[in-house]
Amino acid sequence: MGRGEGMVIGGRVILKLAPNAIEEMARDRVAALVSATNGKTSTTRLLATAVEQAGPVISQHTGANMTSGVAVTLASGDPLAQAVLEVDEAYLPAIFRATNPRVIILGNLSRDQLDRMNEVAMVARRWRDMLADATATTVVANADDPSIVWAARHAPNVIWVAAGQVWTADSAVCLDCGALLRREGTTWQCPRCGFARPTPQWTLEYVEDHTTVRGPGDQRYDMRLQLPGRFNAANGALALVATVVMGLDPAESARRMATVESVSGRYAVVRVGELTIRLLLAKNPAGWSELVDVMPPAPTPVIVTINSNAADGRDPSWLWDVPFERLRGRVVVATGDRRRDLAVRLLHAEVDHVVIEDPYAPAAPLPPGMRDLEVVDCAATYTAFHHLRTTADRQAGQRS
Amino acid sequence: MSDILVVSIYPTLLGTYGDGGNVLALHHRARLHGIGVEVIEVEPGQAVPESADLYVLGGGEDSAQTAAADALRTDGALIRAADSGAAVLAVCAGYQLLGEYFPDATSTATPGLGILDIRTERLPKRAVGELAATAKDPVTQILTGYENHAGGTQLGPDATPLGAVRSGIGNGNGSEGATSGHVIGTYLHGPCLARNPQLADLLLGWAVGADLNFIEEPEVTQLREERLRTVLG
Repeated sequence: MGRGEGMVIGGRVILKLAPNAIEEMARDRVAALVSATNGKTSTTRLLATAVEQAGPVISQHTGANMTSGVAVTLASGDPLAQAVLEVDEAYLPAIFRATNPRVIILGNLSRDQLDRMNEVAMVARRWRDMLADATATTVVANADDPSIVWAARHAPNVIWVAAGQVWTADSAVCLDCGALLRREGTTWQCPRCGFARPTPQWTLEYVEDHTTVRGPGDQRYDMRLQLPGRFNAANGALALVATVVMGLDPAESARRMATVESVSGRYAVVRVGELTIRLLLAKNPAGWSELVDVMPPAPTPVIVTINSNAADGRDPSWLWDVPFERLRGRVVVATGDRRRDLAVRLLHAEVDHVVIEDPYAPAAPLPPGMRDLEVVDCAATYTAFHHLRTTADRQAGQRS
Repeated sequence: MSDILVVSIYPTLLGTYGDGGNVLALHHRARLHGIGVEVIEVEPGQAVPESADLYVLGGGEDSAQTAAADALRTDGALIRAADSGAAVLAVCAGYQLLGEYFPDATSTATPGLGILDIRTERLPKRAVGELAATAKDPVTQILTGYENHAGGTQLGPDATPLGAVRSGIGNGNGSEGATSGHVIGTYLHGPCLARNPQLADLLLGWAVGADLNFIEEPEVTQLREERLRTVLG
């Protein structure tokens, strides 16, 4: 059984025995729900770590973020502990109604697992309906993502955070009237109906590893996260603002968030076979478009692992929306169940590549220099990522 | 060989399912054949050039599809270019909007561009999965791709199916896609032209006015064999 699957089965048993289990276990203690296409696990971990300043917190440790995963998390640990829960985008409305959270963080929406998830506009529509009468909840929402703004703007209590948006291709059109949004710097507006970026109360300033979050009345908090990249700074900014809503000390939140080294294996350095790899989760074009920046520059070779199991999305066409051209000048090892799709994509991106079924085998024909690297970056889709983690854990267990 | 002009129609509206890869595939195949390619991306509000050799439209969400159809009807250049023999590849939402009508987000019939003699209505159940179809002359390779749509498409007498479905749903009646003159419509993502290089060559051949000799690439052949083995056994 894979990591997290035991939780899912446990959760199904709970819900079979008591269909209202989530409502009963959640009563008045869900501090926050976190949802987004990208970054929900990391944001949840950062927020849970920050909220611990007010006492014990329960949260997922496996990424099981649908109904069953939420049920089993609420059933575990201290029954009085506050809960900080990550929730799958499609399951958010049902779990929101059952848990009545104090805060809900909405980070971003972009194309992901289109075979299962439906389209971005449909998810945004369901979120908007969910928030229409959410009087007891404060929404902490990314003002830079038009789909998030469209979903949250009529909610009774919203705090807008300028957390940034690098991938704009899934929010090109006004969700109100269908016109093409006009963008200028970080602002955007619909030229036809006037739908526009709201004025943010909080703003993320990210300059190469130096992150500042500015709020009303000259408030200013420095964040020095260990988690890399602009996208994690955005996750941290949203989490920090959520702790302000909860009445916690944001400076203390920032200090605590800086202690998080890796989240459920993301950016963890592990040993698999004869290679030491840094695990990077890369599951959709928006995530990829920022992940390329945290990889070492060319000519350092990297491994990319693409699967198409249910949790990865069955259709790897999304590889064609990823700017793989930015990996030119190095050799990419293409692996995973869909390594042949990746190879064709890299062929078209003019990126040198080798297709290897198992790059961790002792005799694998790795590109020159890869075996000499202290750490090899390995970007993987969801199930490939978890398979590597499990393999690394097993290998570490055998050694010790 | 001569240079050709390829127009990518509204990639921000019609590019949700990796179909931008069709433009990359055209570029790539053209280079193999020694054909120079210039690509222009056109967004709504900008005029569609009427004198291009090849026009490419991809898939998109319901509201984006309606917006694209409205903008293209107002612009008019794609309709005139197709009329005068330019090559067109249209995928999924792009395919549907070339027809007489298609369902919008609320399932209301919305007028298309009338370039293809097809009519699309909502399928009872969304078609999601691998799609394989036997093509017709001059394409000898089995067509392979991934479909993700809610439309069932009926062809009128002026359109011919692109292929016969071997696995998957396609038009919903045993056929897949439609073609007429130099216009091809299909439900194949993958992207379509990367997974079906003969189709790319057919379009490029129309654009330059010459038959192209097929050039095989091992990466593509291996991918095709893997996908066809998965769906056809």
